[in-house]
Amino acid sequence: MEILFIIITLVVAAVINLMTKRKVIIEVISLISSFVALIGSIILALKVSSSGLFAPWSGRFFSIDSLGAIIILILGLVGFATTIYSIQYLRQEINKDIIGFKRFKEYFILLNIFFAAMFLATTASNPIFTWISIEGTTLSTAFLISFYNKPSAIEGAWKYLIINSIGLLLGFFGTLLFFTSIDLSSVGLVDWHSLSLNAIHLDPLLAKIAFVFVLIGYGTKVGLVPMHTWKPDAYSKAPAPIGALLSSALLPISFVIILRYKAITDIAVGPLFSQKLLITFGFLSIAVAALIMFNAKNYKRLLAYSSIENAGVMALGFGFGGIGIFAAVLHLIYHSCVKVVLFLSSGNLLLKYGSAKIFNIKGALKVIPATSIIFIIGFLIVTGIPPFGMFMTKLYILSAGMKDYPLVSVFALFFLVLVFVSFLKHVSAMFFGEKPENIEKGEKNIWLLIPQISLIVIIIILSFYLPPFLHTLINNVVLQY
Amino acid sequence: MNLLFLQFLSGTILLLIILLLIMKKNFSVVFAYGLQSLIVVIILLNSFFEKGGLLMLLAILVILVIKVILAPVFFIRLIKKYALSFSASTYLSTPMTLIVITILVSIVHSHKFLPLTSIVPDHQVLLSLSLSAIFLSLFLIVNRKGALSQIIGILSFENSIVVFAVFANLEQSATLQLGIIFDIFVWLMIATVFISMLYKHFGTLDVSSMKHLTD
Repeated sequence: MEILFIIITLVVAAVINLMTKRKVIIEVISLISSFVALIGSIILALKVSSSGLFAPWSGRFFSIDSLGAIIILILGLVGFATTIYSIQYLRQEINKDIIGFKRFKEYFILLNIFFAAMFLATTASNPIFTWISIEGTTLSTAFLISFYNKPSAIEGAWKYLIINSIGLLLGFFGTLLFFTSIDLSSVGLVDWHSLSLNAIHLDPLLAKIAFVFVLIGYGTKVGLVPMHTWKPDAYSKAPAPIGALLSSALLPISFVIILRYKAITDIAVGPLFSQKLLITFGFLSIAVAALIMFNAKNYKRLLAYSSIENAGVMALGFGFGGIGIFAAVLHLIYHSCVKVVLFLSSGNLLLKYGSAKIFNIKGALKVIPATSIIFIIGFLIVTGIPPFGMFMTKLYILSAGMKDYPLVSVFALFFLVLVFVSFLKHVSAMFFGEKPENIEKGEKNIWLLIPQISLIVIIIILSFYLPPFLHTLINNVVLQY
Repeated sequence: MNLLFLQFLSGTILLLIILLLIMKKNFSVVFAYGLQSLIVVIILLNSFFEKGGLLMLLAILVILVIKVILAPVFFIRLIKKYALSFSASTYLSTPMTLIVITILVSIVHSHKFLPLTSIVPDHQVLLSLSLSAIFLSLFLIVNRKGALSQIIGILSFENSIVVFAVFANLEQSATLQLGIIFDIFVWLMIATVFISMLYKHFGTLDVSSMKHLTD
């Protein structure tokens, strides 16, 4: 019931935003809907933690397992944080005449649809509903990426649309192939559970081909190399909070869908096949992202490549298995939180300097000290500097691979060091040194900082203490995947 | 409908995709796409008469109205509005395109893809043809420079998947048909808006002119 309540609230919020002509109503409604989503997701995560699986109406339409619960918890959290930020961010853009009321309204309509689609994708018990929901996210985000209506934004959105649509159709085709294990004439709605139960009837070769299609398909949405090409363009052209959501929410959701198919494939052909694929794609993603990040010229693109790199780290964790899975799930949680911190801070930089080029950002520590400190902390977290949790997760993931894939682990470590060096180079260039004379000192608004500070506090707490319910959920994921 | 006739229809779909790959006129591209969609409708109707299903009938109606009638009309209006008569250009030359087509069709017919083409042993030829259509549609999207052709490529890719699903006896799943209907709606909605936006900003629908994202 809770999940339906969350989705309906978000859809109703989108409809009210569509009908109203008052800015304040749009802000309040969006804030309420994202808060409802946050509370609802906490309740659901607690339920799943105590029962193992939440499947109302006998799991006919919705079912949430432990990994799904973690994802909706992340979604609720980053959704609320980005909504708070978006309100103030768009107010600033309206003040600067970058956008008008029409765009403001459009943004919050699409944002609520985007949230609803993501909740549905995570909780739908039917693989086709999941696919439809992911397609729904493409619909809403394509317009959010082209939000500023500039040629580069339109180009980024077009690339996103074409590449993701091809990817999703490949994913759809892969899904169809998984359906061959079931006698469809006797089954109404095919759910994840029945696909798992019937996986033993899958032709092993067919299961392998199907998984490859699904991995390429949903891997496009995750942004795994070589299907990543849309990502830097889309992330850099979308408004900062949308970049944050693409990286912190849509990425893990798509990753979880791949993992669900991995579990089914593993039943049919054993775990080695999917593990090797995940390791290959994961390693490629880390390597390519690290090499490109060194010469990045745009800080939003830098963050996009960081997302590709971290998706690669997660893929390695699930590929290596064992403790790597535990660490990969934790990594997913930390990454989602820290990427919101970084993207929202990049939004503050953009508001202040009016440029996303690293070259144009100088002496930010003197101009916007709070944002700068937040960004630097975010950089330290995301690159895996101790004592933050991502240091431990990267360490555990690489050590999990040392036994069976030592070369992969060693080279991955090299590329992770390169990522740190690249980030350090760009951060030094942007935050230190003298400020340009034409830039005024001072933060724009406290509400452009609170969401990031809250998330940093959460990351620090989670780096040292895992609440029992979260520990249970992660343990369940390790057992399941 | 007998197997031979279905093979003829599948072969025609494949042939139309090959034509889509080498045609240079946008009007011909749209016409070929409309005809391809009509054949998909005939194949689905055949399946409906054999197995029934209300949702299946709805999916057929949606495909008929949107893909066979509305989409081609919309594309033709677009071509007339923006005078796109000769912009269906490709990255590879025609001989190279034909070589790639041959390679892709050969790969599909190799033993590597036998697990896919023998899902329903009686339909091996049909599944091979529709799998070839899937691969060639993918190539169509990649090889075309025009935004309009890319959209048609994706819609053709969809058509090929639908045909594959029918011949693999997977079309009976109600959710599958919902997926197809949703995808068609989403695609045409987005295409309508984006084509206009692209033309407004770039003055052309040739995607090779998009060079704003270089850094």
